[in-house]
Parts: sequence; C-alpha cells; structure tokens
Amino acid sequence: MKRFIQHEELARDSRFTRQTTALSTLIAQLPDDVNAVVALFEKFDPIIEKSTRGTQAEPLYEAYGPGFGLMTNTQSLKPGDPATETRIKLRMHGIYVGELQALEGAGRSLWDFPDAPWEFKMNMARQCWDETRHVQIYEKLLEHVGATPGMFPESTFLFECACSDDPALRVAGVNRGLEGLACDVFRDMIRYAEEIGDDKMKQAIDYVLADELTHVRFGSDWVREFCKNDPERLQRANEFRKQVDKQFNFGGARSEKKDSAIPIAFDDRREAGFTEDELKELVGLCGEGPSRETMREAARILRERHQAKRAAQTAGAKS
Amino acid sequence: MSERLYPGFGRDERTTFSPYGAFEVPADLRELYGRYDVESMARRVRNFRYAEEWTMMILGGWIATIPEVPVKTGLGKIVWDCAQSADAFGKRLPELRCGRKAVEASEPANDGFAKLVSALSEPETPDLTVEKIAGVFDVLKPHLLAVYERTMRETDQITDAPTIELLEDAVRRTRKHIAWGDEVLERLCDTDGKRERRRRRVASLRAQLEACGGVTGTLADELGRSH
Repeated sequence: MKRFIQHEELARDSRFTRQTTALSTLIAQLPDDVNAVVALFEKFDPIIEKSTRGTQAEPLYEAYGPGFGLMTNTQSLKPGDPATETRIKLRMHGIYVGELQALEGAGRSLWDFPDAPWEFKMNMARQCWDETRHVQIYEKLLEHVGATPGMFPESTFLFECACSDDPALRVAGVNRGLEGLACDVFRDMIRYAEEIGDDKMKQAIDYVLADELTHVRFGSDWVREFCKNDPERLQRANEFRKQVDKQFNFGGARSEKKDSAIPIAFDDRREAGFTEDELKELVGLCGEGPSRETMREAARILRERHQAKRAAQTAGAKS
Repeated sequence: MSERLYPGFGRDERTTFSPYGAFEVPADLRELYGRYDVESMARRVRNFRYAEEWTMMILGGWIATIPEVPVKTGLGKIVWDCAQSADAFGKRLPELRCGRKAVEASEPANDGFAKLVSALSEPETPDLTVEKIAGVFDVLKPHLLAVYERTMRETDQITDAPTIELLEDAVRRTRKHIAWGDEVLERLCDTDGKRERRRRRVASLRAQLEACGGVTGTLADELGRSH
C-alpha cells in the first residue's frame, strides 16, 4: 500500500456523490466583493448542478441555484425558522462526512508516518477510535433529524487541505485548525439543541466536543514536539494552520460575533490550549475574505438569476 | 511484659505466631520453570509488539481505501485495540532487562515475517476489501491468538505472570477481532467468486506464514513440541 493518498482516492459506497473542492479553495481567496463571488459560483454552476443530481440537494439547487450551499453557511440555526430543517440536515451531513474524513486522516497518519514517535502513533490510534464513534454518533443524529448518509454531495475539502506530508503540518492543520473549527461548530449545535429542548442531540454532541478538545491538545503537543529546535518548521506549521482556518471561514460565517452563523467558541478553545494571541489571530482571519453580508447578497443574486434562467428555459421549451 | 510482635535473633526472642505458607490455602499447584527464559520471552514480546504495531498501521492506512462504512468504523476501534496491545508489550520490555528505551522496540522474528506483513499490506484499491480483511482476520490474527495462548500456557506461571496478564488482554481483544472479521467476510463474500477470492488469499498467506515460522519464527518447532 502506497503512502500519501489524494482526496480523490477516498473510498465511498454507492450512496455518496462527490462535490468539487475547488470552489471552497477559491472562495477563501476572494476579495469582499459580491460580483466576484457571483462570477465564481456561475463559473462552477455546471459542476455544482451535476454533483447535486440524484441527491436531496437537487431540489435545493432548483430553488436557489448554484449558491444553495450559502444558505446553510451564512445563516444561524434558529428554532421555528422554516429553512432551519434543511439547514440542520445540511450541516449535520457536512459534519458526518467531515468525521468520516477525520477518521480516514487519523488512520493515514499511522500509515504515512511509520517512523513517528510511538506516543504520536498512540494518539492517532486513539483518534481513530474517537472519530469512529463520531461517525457512528452522527449517523444516529442524521437519522434523528430525518436525514441519511449520502443524501447531499460530499466535499472532501477537509481531507484535501489538511493532509500534508509533513506530520507537523498535518497535526497543525487537522488537530488545531479543523478540530478547532469543530469546537466552534459543535458549541453552536449544542446551543441550538438547548434552544429546541433536544436532550439527545445536546448530550451526544457535548461528548463529541469533549473528544475534540483532546484532539486539539494532541495537535498542540505534537506541533511543539515536531518543531522543537526548528523555528522555521514551526512557522510553516503555524502558517499552514492559519491557511486552514481561513479556508474554513465559510465566507464570513464564522466570527467572534454572537449572532454569526458559527460563533467562535472562545472558552472551549482556551480549554483546548489555544493561546490568547492565537484567538486574536483567528478573529482577524475571520474578518478576511468575503463577509457574511456579501455572501448573502451573492446568494440572492444567484437565486434570482437561476430562477430567471429556468423561466427562460421553460418558455423556450413551450415555444 | 508484652508479647513480641517481631522475631529477634535468639531462641527466646521468637514470636508466638505460627508459620503460615501463603500458598498453602488454597494449595498452590503451580511449579516453577517454564519454556522461556527472560531473554527468549523478551524476544517474543518484541515480536508480538511488531505484529500488533504493524497491524495497527496497516489497518489505519486501509480505512480510507475501504468503501464500506461499517468496515471503516469497525477498523477504527481495532486500530486502537492493537495500539493498546503493542503499548502493553512495549512497557513489559524494560521489565525483561531490555533497557528503559525498549518500550518502542518492535522486531520481526525474521525477514520472512517482515515480508509476510508487507504482503498483508499490499491490497490497496477499494475493490479489495475481501483480500484486506481475509489477510489480517483469517490468517494473521488467528495465528497470533494461537501463539499468545500457547505462550501463556507454556511460560512460568509465577515468575512470568506479568506477561501472562497482558497476553490475557491481547487474547480477549484478538478473539473479538476474529469474530468481527469473520462476520464481515461472511457478509461480503456473498458469491462463489468472492468466497473463492477469500479462500485463495488465505491459502497464499497461510503458506507464507508457515514458511517463515510465524510471528516468533519458531512455529514448526513449537507445534512439534506441543503435539
């Protein structure tokens, strides 16, 4: 078995369809400009449409056009909001496939770095079991909210952007960048579960969040250990983590504001070992790229243009 | 004058407590002397650690290449189990006079066993789940289970009790893994073609295992003596 696989090589059964990851990479590099966001989504429209075919995202695509994903990312989960049912399914599904990729990433860390210290291997092996349980938990939670694995397209962006061939960068990206993001998302899900009085969801995600703190600590310890006496490597690891943080801002969806779609979970992150400087840096990174308002406006324009296009197609077919 | 609690040197300085053999009740029927001395047991433990560590790494690598989700998640737990067994074997090594740094010492018994492990790890693509699972769960793990159990029986039950205790844990885990693997393979091999693939994979690896003498490199000798 070779070492270091690409995200395209992740194996899935026939329920799953793949979504392009190029869009997510490009969004993170865009300026805060509505036209630029609209142009990018329109460029990727045919690929997005194709990836939704045969999945539960198809009706969403028909209703909102290529920017349908923005409706999940730019809005918080509000009890009573009619769109929340779809949003929670989309978010839960995104987390489920994220946990699958985290399991695969931890497993690959064991295979890709055979000469790593034993304690590192123990931590990654433990993470394999934790991520396994997370997959199982989110499979149950998907069912709990009326969703199923594979009902939406899967982006393998998490595996792609985090799986560096340097173990220091990999743990910086996965364990500090992505597991830190998981702290933010899960704290918000717990808030939502509390608001709707869903004890099952609240308790399950609370346990998952506790595991994530442990994984962030693994990351903090191993970045320190791998980069001991190598400031250049430490800088590369920190830059890599920042890049991952930036790519997972979901167009301004994550921020320090309490009303943001994904508020930064400061307390959890502190407990996991993030320093005040790192938290300040994260707040700064969240302010870069397209803002939430820009994304919302882009989503509106994309929806209108899509509906106009469909109306024209219908009229053309009749004549 | 109060009664003596500790015996002194002289006859009249003895206590009145009657002697009591700690192993008399119940009678300790164990006898000293086992098949392995400290050095050979240390070698075996290093060999066991090698097998568990590499199984952990191979299964970890496969998770991403296996399309069946329940197989992925099943392997995720087994990876952690193998890591715990390897860790326990490593911690035993300094107790067997291998030095403090020995906790990370894994060692194949011979090149043949290292090649077998390499052959086990060969299947890569998503259409080879049968070959992946059959290699580890039909061949390697049943072999490890047999060797662990034989080692527990044949080592000195008193002097080497700490090895026996950690082997008991490894045996418990390995039994569960074999049962899981068998269930998975029964489900996956639902056609004659797939059952044939399983049979061929097992036959080829088992021949390689026997040729190299298994995890300790002494399979033929041990089986001969056991019989």
